[in-house]
Amino acid sequence: MVPIFFYVACAVAAAGVALLLLPHGRGKRVGASVLGLAGLAWILVEIVGSVAPNAGELQPLGIVLLCGIVSIASAVRVITHHRPVFCALYFVLVVVSSAAIFVLLAAEFIAFALIIVYAGAILITYLFVLMLAQQSPAEIGSEDAVDYDRIPREPASAVMAGFVLIAVIGGSVFTVHDSSGTAALEQARSVRQGWRDLSLMPSLLLEQARRTDSTVTAMVRRPDGLFVTPQADHSAIVSVERTGKASPSDLTLPPSLLPDNTTRVGIALVTRFPVSLELAGVILLMAMLGAVVLARKQTDLAEDERRSIAGLSKLMDDPTPGASR
Amino acid sequence: MNDALASGFTIASNAQLSVALMISALLFTIGLVGFLCRRNMIIMFLCTELMFQGAALAMVAFARMHMDVSGQVFVIFILTVAAAEAALALALVVLLYRRRETLSAEVWSQLGES
Repeated sequence: MVPIFFYVACAVAAAGVALLLLPHGRGKRVGASVLGLAGLAWILVEIVGSVAPNAGELQPLGIVLLCGIVSIASAVRVITHHRPVFCALYFVLVVVSSAAIFVLLAAEFIAFALIIVYAGAILITYLFVLMLAQQSPAEIGSEDAVDYDRIPREPASAVMAGFVLIAVIGGSVFTVHDSSGTAALEQARSVRQGWRDLSLMPSLLLEQARRTDSTVTAMVRRPDGLFVTPQADHSAIVSVERTGKASPSDLTLPPSLLPDNTTRVGIALVTRFPVSLELAGVILLMAMLGAVVLARKQTDLAEDERRSIAGLSKLMDDPTPGASR
Repeated sequence: MNDALASGFTIASNAQLSVALMISALLFTIGLVGFLCRRNMIIMFLCTELMFQGAALAMVAFARMHMDVSGQVFVIFILTVAAAEAALALALVVLLYRRRETLSAEVWSQLGES
């Protein structure tokens, strides 16, 4: 089935964005915003209609839709606003509203890391540079911004290219196969992976085992070399030593003791991707050095000045006492 | 039994994932359109951050779909690259602005004449 309505919705949204990009008066801008929002809502309705949600999922879905509309509307504002500082502030709104979606997608750490790094650090850097490179208000004129902020470059073709991309990506939603059969398998694999991650962190595992049974003193390896044997019902069996008992005995850990989302990210970072983590540090260091080198004021010094900065005497004139003798 | 699991281990709702992926695609596209249209160099780089945001949303949605955290770890690396890119790009913009006293990207369309 070809999702004709979805493509029409894409075209409506594209027309709205294209009209918003062109510089004109307030009345036309309101009309273009309404057109763009209607297209956006239509796209989302088509997507939701294609998957037919249950009644139980409607409430979280509503929050995702709301945050999505806010973030996309402010993203459009980022690319259409004539004042760069407002663009940066609207970008903060994009980051915050997509952080809400991240929280609903069980990525709490990513959500707050994005807010801190994007809204807190990167955006402040952008604002600093905007202030540094701003032309004075007298040049700009009291009301409107400079030309290169007001008049876009080839808006029609850019919007067309962009929304053809959207139509292709979004159209794939209507052709995907139902994956509900594999979801349970995938969940079992994920739970096993969770227990195995915990097994790589023996002290964390001991802490979790103590929550079940406070007499536990130490963990003992299972015959297969790991500390944990996952079970089919998402629980797991561990071997533990208890106070006052000579030989190790078995203990069943309930699924509620699986690591939470943030802990899983941390364990994955240090056990599965340690080299990438180090490389990320190297990239940041290089970027810092590069920025320092680039942003330094470049001045040409004469040879004598360079020598005097380095603490050496001048080359030619002003001979040393030893030479005059 | 499912109630006892942490939220990352439960099976995600298909509708939520589809909507999140659509939003990520829209964010990416809007960033792309902005990068092509805007003529202010700083805003052009801001639009690349918008594209990063869309990519990060797609990563997290797929990580949720497969109940695996590798996608979230990848977002941390995207964040690193975005921070590095912002630092270098803004240093370059400051450098270019000192030369020509304007932020317009079109002044630099001919690289031959310094």
